[in-house]
Amino acid sequence: MNLAPKRMEVQAATDDMRRRTLASIARPLDRLIYLGSLRDYNTGVYYHDGLASRFSEDVVCEALADCHREVFRQLFSAPLEELVEQLEGYVNSTHAGPVEFIAAWQGLEPYRVAVPVGTDPLPAEFFFSNLKIALAILQHRLHDRPAQRPGASPQPLLGR
Amino acid sequence: MHLILFLLLGAGLLVLLFLIARRARPVAGSAQSLREARQALSALQEWALPSGVLERVFAKQDMAYVLSSTPPDVQRLFLQERRKVAFLWVCQVHKSVGLLRNFHLSQARFYERLSLGTEIELAFSFAALLFACRVLQVALYAGGSSAAPWMIEKTAEAVTRLCQVSEKSLEFLSPAPEKAIVDGPASGNFPV
Repeated sequence: MNLAPKRMEVQAATDDMRRRTLASIARPLDRLIYLGSLRDYNTGVYYHDGLASRFSEDVVCEALADCHREVFRQLFSAPLEELVEQLEGYVNSTHAGPVEFIAAWQGLEPYRVAVPVGTDPLPAEFFFSNLKIALAILQHRLHDRPAQRPGASPQPLLGR
Repeated sequence: MHLILFLLLGAGLLVLLFLIARRARPVAGSAQSLREARQALSALQEWALPSGVLERVFAKQDMAYVLSSTPPDVQRLFLQERRKVAFLWVCQVHKSVGLLRNFHLSQARFYERLSLGTEIELAFSFAALLFACRVLQVALYAGGSSAAPWMIEKTAEAVTRLCQVSEKSLEFLSPAPEKAIVDGPASGNFPV
């Protein structure tokens, strides 16, 4: 297959993904988790029905992988404080209670499967390490908040 | 009698030639080590240079945030985690420098265009960097990621210099078709 036209198609699919889907997801962390969920755990191949109706399987996979790497880069460059805010926002957007969420993420470390395939060990470990710290900070906030504001409504526990 | 002696001598020489031919590295092996050296070099450039990953890993902003707004146990966790990542960085640098050095030791002497000056400069840089990595590991073990920020900075600078010298030598060490393969898709592969 000629590489230049394929690259152009990948670019078109990537733009499409950014414009239609990723633009509606505000936080990079949410985007990372979403993109990670589009990948088959067994094969590492990305699937997206909407894109698949307009582009070939190869092109879709490559475009989604590009988006995934881009989002990971964005998160990697974000300061720890920003990552904590993003994680807090993500916890509040899920149906799980913050205590259960933090316990599950600390125990199972599901974020380990959210990084793009082929990520070098150093950036990957740094990201996992930052998430571990962010979880500890949220856990600390969670324990502190009821004591600080006894009269306040407990929901959402991590909300600002 | 003489004929037998000459025949034996001839056979011995043939065996010797065969053994020498077997010891010489195959062409594919050379290409493989050149590729490994290229990968090690690009890994060093991507991990070790202060402008990229390193700057992020040792960012003071994160430290200031944690120290100002978290309790001591979270601060301890932060320092532990940073130390772990710093260790990983030093190990990666050590491994990549080792790979590059091995390549230069095994391959570079086959190329007569590599000057003695460059070889000496590289040998010195390799030795200094490997030593610096060991010292850094000890410093990190003893005092954590914030123990020797100037050393990390100096190591990164040394890596930058080594990369520049090594890149030049790798450029003329690689034959044209090989270069095309090496520079191809792998070049856009970092860090993520």
